[in-house]
Amino acid sequence: MGEPSVDGIRILLFAGLREQAGWGERHWPAPAATATTLTPRQLWQALQLPGPLDSVRIAINQQFAEPDTPLQPGDELAFLPPISGG
Amino acid sequence: MQLRIDLHAAAFEPLVCLELWQRRLAVQGHHGGAAESLFIGRVRPAAADGAPLVALELEHYPGMTERQLRQLATACCRRHGASSCLVQHRIGRVLPGEAIVLVAIGADRRGPAQRCCQELLEALKHEAPFWKREWRRDGSSAWLTGNTPL
Repeated sequence: MGEPSVDGIRILLFAGLREQAGWGERHWPAPAATATTLTPRQLWQALQLPGPLDSVRIAINQQFAEPDTPLQPGDELAFLPPISGG
Repeated sequence: MQLRIDLHAAAFEPLVCLELWQRRLAVQGHHGGAAESLFIGRVRPAAADGAPLVALELEHYPGMTERQLRQLATACCRRHGASSCLVQHRIGRVLPGEAIVLVAIGADRRGPAQRCCQELLEALKHEAPFWKREWRRDGSSAWLTGNTPL
């Protein structure tokens, strides 16, 4: 068993979600290569983020993704509250 | 296809942007097509609950917002066969009456130009990571969790 990678997951929150959580950016250690897969859903629960996961959208490396998409070391994960552009 | 997307941290004048855009197209020998459809969105003077609005704050996801706008515009223009596309969008603190978004689509016919303009506007409202916060006179604020009806 090796040590967890130094290239962890960068986690970003925005707008109302950031204010509810009280933080906008965190770093999560990447699991060792032999560990089970880490997903946005697991991180949402582990970080005890507010509200149901289906109230937000997920982006991995700035592309929309699904809650159970496996995360890779070095990924940027963002939880996006409801969008209102234009 | 000619495409330009800009995020403005300070007030922009849509008609000035349009003039610059059309001049740039002309210099490049591209006239944007026979039909052009435009949309200019401005900040309302009232909040969602009807209270006077002091300002609208627009947060975005640097990097993803630009990338997503580019993907949405490219896909939409390709679907409609549009030949030019200009998107200008505000970020930061926007005052009532100020422009928040400009979309200008050039195409060969009015149908594709108008349909592309409307479709792209709806797409960026729902698929590009922007968030609006309304600021009221008493200093309170609230994040919006959706868009106004079409």
